[in-house]
Amino acid sequence: MKSVKLGTGLAFWGDSLRPAIDMVERADIQYLCCDHLAELTMSILSKQKSRKPDLGYTTDIIPFLRGVLPKCHERGIKIISNAGGSNPEACAQKVIELCRELGLHGMKVATVTGDDIMDRIDGLLEDGIELANTDTGQQLSDIRDKVTQANVYIGCDGIVEALEQGADIVICGRVTDAALYLGPMRHELGWAADDWQSLGAGTGVAHCIECGGQASGGLYSGGWQDMNSLSSLGYPVTEVFENGEATLSKTPQTGGAVTVGTVSEQLVYEVLDPANYLTADVVSDVSQIKLDQVGPDQVHIHNVKGKPAPETLKVNMGYRAGFVGETQFTYTWPDAVKKAKAGLAFLNERLEQVNFQSTHTRVEYLGHNSMWGPEVCDPPDDPEIEELVVRFAARCPTKEEAQKVFTESVPLYNNGPAGASGIGTRPPIKELYGIWPCLIPRELITIKTTVTEVTA
Amino acid sequence: MTLRVWDLAHGRSGDKGDICNIGLIARSDEAYKRLCRQVTAERLQDHFGELIKGGVDRYELPNINALNFVCKGALDGGGTLSLRSDHLGKVMYTWLLRMELDDE
Repeated sequence: MKSVKLGTGLAFWGDSLRPAIDMVERADIQYLCCDHLAELTMSILSKQKSRKPDLGYTTDIIPFLRGVLPKCHERGIKIISNAGGSNPEACAQKVIELCRELGLHGMKVATVTGDDIMDRIDGLLEDGIELANTDTGQQLSDIRDKVTQANVYIGCDGIVEALEQGADIVICGRVTDAALYLGPMRHELGWAADDWQSLGAGTGVAHCIECGGQASGGLYSGGWQDMNSLSSLGYPVTEVFENGEATLSKTPQTGGAVTVGTVSEQLVYEVLDPANYLTADVVSDVSQIKLDQVGPDQVHIHNVKGKPAPETLKVNMGYRAGFVGETQFTYTWPDAVKKAKAGLAFLNERLEQVNFQSTHTRVEYLGHNSMWGPEVCDPPDDPEIEELVVRFAARCPTKEEAQKVFTESVPLYNNGPAGASGIGTRPPIKELYGIWPCLIPRELITIKTTVTEVTA
Repeated sequence: MTLRVWDLAHGRSGDKGDICNIGLIARSDEAYKRLCRQVTAERLQDHFGELIKGGVDRYELPNINALNFVCKGALDGGGTLSLRSDHLGKVMYTWLLRMELDDE
């Protein structure tokens, strides 16, 4: 039976480069698939692009390619990446320059675009496309003037087209994470764009491996103690068969493990209704999935189904949503709890004195209830507690208001209750971006693929 | 001795906008049946209280003995806006693992 061997190279912007380097040296793969984009990433990238027109992509792609390209070139391994972010053309240009620098002439670099609809929003609204928030039902007019970026999660068509034109490296923007894997599956296994069963099965497999080390022992709550050498974790290497089944393993001689347990944990990660896992290419049904341990670090994935792709595609817009001001401070025994309460009261009074404006505040006691606590956390009641860290954070309409959280907490150093320490050095004032999920009819989106050969 | 969910299952959680989903994987077929009986969407909502503001849906993946809980309005506006230290809900599942089960 025909099959294709896919390696997971990166799972997020900033991910370690070493698993991919180990993989291209030691694993039997044909494709290296790399996801650089999370929900927030596109907002960050669009901001960078607005400041400098040749930025807006995830810059880690360059050191990544510098590390793996010579080996990939030698072994004929193709690379599929969404590092293009908000600016796939600029990213591809940098990649072409790198190929030249490495003397890899003849390489074909593809760019896949068509996901960016920022310039089309008003026209779409005029045409009656509401772009209403699918989570809240709100109309876009509520935030229209604050929108900084609008990208459609597009499917794998552009990647398939690029591979058919002989591309060695495919640089995309906001394609779905699954498309990075489904593209080479369709190209190699000959699946039609409406072969829902195969596409559904392939998408289920892609979901299992798109987060890299999370499928091969990273974060494994079912037995992290038993994982060998997590610091040298191997990333997933997956053979996908023509019938949509797959065998998931990892790079030889690396840490971690691939077991039914590790894959099960990843399967339930960031899934809503498992019978209707929506993507641009297909609706995948993983609710009846079966996982079998077929060898050491080898799990067979089967019984995943598919249904026709949705009529609409998901759009994520980013919009400016104010700023966050944050501070933290530590009190010690004796009376750490009482001092912490007094320190917090001190901060609140000072904020009132400067007419502080915020839309939401949060208080946490780190090491006590910062992870699961309610919005207003109580401090621990142990009078013998050695130390207590207070974290105060506020969402503010402007940068100036957010700055007050810092300036009004600094006096805790000298003027507040006794025994204060660990008052954070100036935290960066962070601009907040909200995510606005909405839908667009798929026929309004046209994907464009461009392939460029690297010349001397 | 009172059992906790942790005695019967392991898990993982993550974010999608303001939704946190929590997956539980039972350690055996028997454990899965017991979790199905006891860890209902309602029990989970009670356990998390005001941390989950938009309701809970439960889904089953019977062939891998897993349950998936979709907790809406659980991340203080979503990962990009949230003031919570755990703004991506990465350890929400561990709080569920602490939940005590009824004797059967």
